[in-house]
Amino acid sequence: MPEKAAAFTYRGEVTKEAALRFISHLDYSALIERAICRAKLPVAYSEGFNPHMKLSFASALALGVTSDCEYMEFILSKDLCQPEVFERLSAQLPDGVTLKALKKVEGKHKALMSLADEARYIISFSAEGQEKEWAQAVQAFNNAEVCIYQRVTPKKTREIDIKQYVIGQLEIKTENNMIELTAALKITPQGSVKPAEIVEYISKTHGLNNNISDVDIRRTELLAGGGNLMDAH
Amino acid sequence: MVHLTSDILQSVVKPARYTGSEWNAVHKELDGITCRFALSMPDVYEVGMSNLGLKILYEILNNRHDTWAERVYAPWIDMEEHMRNKNIPLFSLESFTEMKEFDFIGFSLQFEMCFTTVLNMLDLSGVSIWAKDRKEDDPFIIGGGPCVYNVEPVADFFDLFVIGEAEEALQELVDVFASWKKEGRPDGRIGFLKRAAQVHGIYVPCLYTPEYSKTGMYTGIKPVDDKTPAVIYKRIIQNMDDVETMEKPIVPYIDIVHNRIMLELFRGCSRGCRFCQAGVAYRPVRERSEKKLRELARKMIDSTGYDEISLTSLSSADYSCLGGLVDNLMCDFSNEKVGFTLPSLRIDSFSIDLADKMQQIRKSGLTFAPEAGTQRMRDVINKGVTEEDLLAATGAAFKKGWKTVKLYFMIGLPTETDEDVIGIAKLAKKVVDHYKEVTGRRGVKVTISVSCFVPKAFTAFQWFGQNTLEEFARKQQLIKEHITDRSIHYNYHDAHVSLLEGVLARGDRRLAPVIYSAWKNGSRFDGWTDQFDLERWNKAFEENNIDPNYYNHRSRDFDEVFPWEHTTPGVSRAFLKHEYEKAVAEQLTKDCRRGDCTGCGICQTLGVNIVDWGRNRA
Ligand code: SF4
Repeated sequence: MPEKAAAFTYRGEVTKEAALRFISHLDYSALIERAICRAKLPVAYSEGFNPHMKLSFASALALGVTSDCEYMEFILSKDLCQPEVFERLSAQLPDGVTLKALKKVEGKHKALMSLADEARYIISFSAEGQEKEWAQAVQAFNNAEVCIYQRVTPKKTREIDIKQYVIGQLEIKTENNMIELTAALKITPQGSVKPAEIVEYISKTHGLNNNISDVDIRRTELLAGGGNLMDAH
Repeated sequence: MVHLTSDILQSVVKPARYTGSEWNAVHKELDGITCRFALSMPDVYEVGMSNLGLKILYEILNNRHDTWAERVYAPWIDMEEHMRNKNIPLFSLESFTEMKEFDFIGFSLQFEMCFTTVLNMLDLSGVSIWAKDRKEDDPFIIGGGPCVYNVEPVADFFDLFVIGEAEEALQELVDVFASWKKEGRPDGRIGFLKRAAQVHGIYVPCLYTPEYSKTGMYTGIKPVDDKTPAVIYKRIIQNMDDVETMEKPIVPYIDIVHNRIMLELFRGCSRGCRFCQAGVAYRPVRERSEKKLRELARKMIDSTGYDEISLTSLSSADYSCLGGLVDNLMCDFSNEKVGFTLPSLRIDSFSIDLADKMQQIRKSGLTFAPEAGTQRMRDVINKGVTEEDLLAATGAAFKKGWKTVKLYFMIGLPTETDEDVIGIAKLAKKVVDHYKEVTGRRGVKVTISVSCFVPKAFTAFQWFGQNTLEEFARKQQLIKEHITDRSIHYNYHDAHVSLLEGVLARGDRRLAPVIYSAWKNGSRFDGWTDQFDLERWNKAFEENNIDPNYYNHRSRDFDEVFPWEHTTPGVSRAFLKHEYEKAVAEQLTKDCRRGDCTGCGICQTLGVNIVDWGRNRA
């Protein structure tokens, strides 16, 4: 980035709530861009024929997943005070996005995209009378060394070991005929696993109710070295 | 409230088509709402969301405290399958309310090929397809848009139509509805419809009976009583500065067809192309003032965060002080990342200079519509463009660095000869050669897109018998044979669709059962090439014993009565006939915008006048 123009980096923690969970990551980024435009913040653009706003995210969220904690960074050409940026941007965010925290990042820091190494999720769905079976299946999953999952993409089908990305144990709670799984998953430069893939793997390998029609997946934390991404460098 | 489970949303293409909650979408408390209005386009979200008329009406209706307007579009095939399997009714995108709960469902009818999609949407809503079968508490189904200038083929499916510009008429209609409802719905459904028919510009088809001669010729239409108007003239907005309009358009989360602000410079175009229905339907020209346009542009940029404004009109370059307007707009937004585009370019170097100044993206290329290949043919259709104009315009573009040009043409026009058809290939070749002359290089790409002419109601060519499939096919081939240069790319369209459009565009109420059968046979999204299936329509004509050729190929007598004449833009029949005669005689008619009235009769009939700032200054 050419250093001639003044540049002030702001990092924010935002949500992606139920109303927006079927908006792709790219479209989510575009809606934040539009909000920044409406807020009339003096945001910086890249140089070149087709300039784009200097806005980046920590980690893409899978389609259909809600999040309590997305992290973004944008660069302003003016040194505005935190409360002003916070208020102006908050006022322009659509339903389904809340700005929870914002700070100016001082000094040198790594690209936001390369910081996150762990994501935590809560996955809930209707048990449909299979509470016991689910408990056993999760137990088996936790005990397994390796879990080979067939990842199907439009281009190809690949076998991957998804267990390598799971940190610690999956936890299971059942209440009011609902099952709630808690998972901590590794994000590595080589890849990661989606929470929906874990659910699919478990239900398939144990012949469990396969038409879980309404699964709620919520990202509750995104961490760097075990700490909050707002403070990571 | 309809709830879509996550497995459904995960499995469909573009789930955000169905999840709403966009920026500027309007949500209201039901308390105090008298009228719930669903605004719809019988097409997918990305198309429906791009329609200017619907955007305007959405805002105007929602400005009323007693009304809540919501949106609904046609679910794509994948979603429809889920909805049918799981008995999920069609629902609105704001409150996820099922369609049956609404007081009105309004459909914007942009072209004839959307008719079966309307039927499909009614069916998905659980509302009777035929207006006569609707029950007391069913919604009123209302249609609008360009198709209202011959709405008879679908008249039996609708309760009412708005003819012309709906900004004021729809409000008056809601007022009538509100008082009818407050009075306890006197005389039920028909009671309201009878009152609605008294609103200027509202057509209630069940109050009219068409009549046919013994030989099956349409002879006219009779209103049920003398209180019901025999002719419904279009509504029109005289003052484009004062009319309530769009200021806070909804910003979609996914890309749509026109994902930008549409700034409507003016309505109407009186260049007088004889094939063009819009050129008659939206007369006379009425411009917005530059002051108003700059004000609207500012409001819409601030309320949306968009970075692009399209200067929208039928022929935007005709705006009386476009150069000045563009300069001032660019100045107003010089500190913001806002770009401007012209959707249609006039064939002259002024337009090229402007496009260049606005830095329209070069890769998309330039599009011109000479419409016909020879000067003779262009005189017939009153397209006041010469070969020199085209070469001057493309030459200016080539000098400025454009390398791709797209040219639109039609075949099957009245008096057309093979020489005219071959002229299309020749003209394209001249443009290719011109590139070499101007730039001294090769490497231009000229695409010619050739469509099959569909004669439309209320045009000079409304009497003309459409070409047959064989004629169209032969002419399409003829062009192909005469393309000699590899720089020319040739596109042509399936003539079958144009022929079917030809049937519907000049049809009458006897086509309703055919449309119904076509839908029953599986038709919907007929405007999508990959969804259109001719067989379903062929079968539908057979099942109902209707000969389509009666509607499209037949040349009409000058004294024949037409089934569309009671819902009219106000144009005089004598004018259209005279224009047909002038066409055959290859005589031109001037634009009345800045010159003399050429006698189409619309201004006098409707009591309106041209608003053109160039003219008013002169
Ligand atoms: S009545 Fe005359 S001035 Fe008005 S639109 Fe028609 S031709 Fe033009």
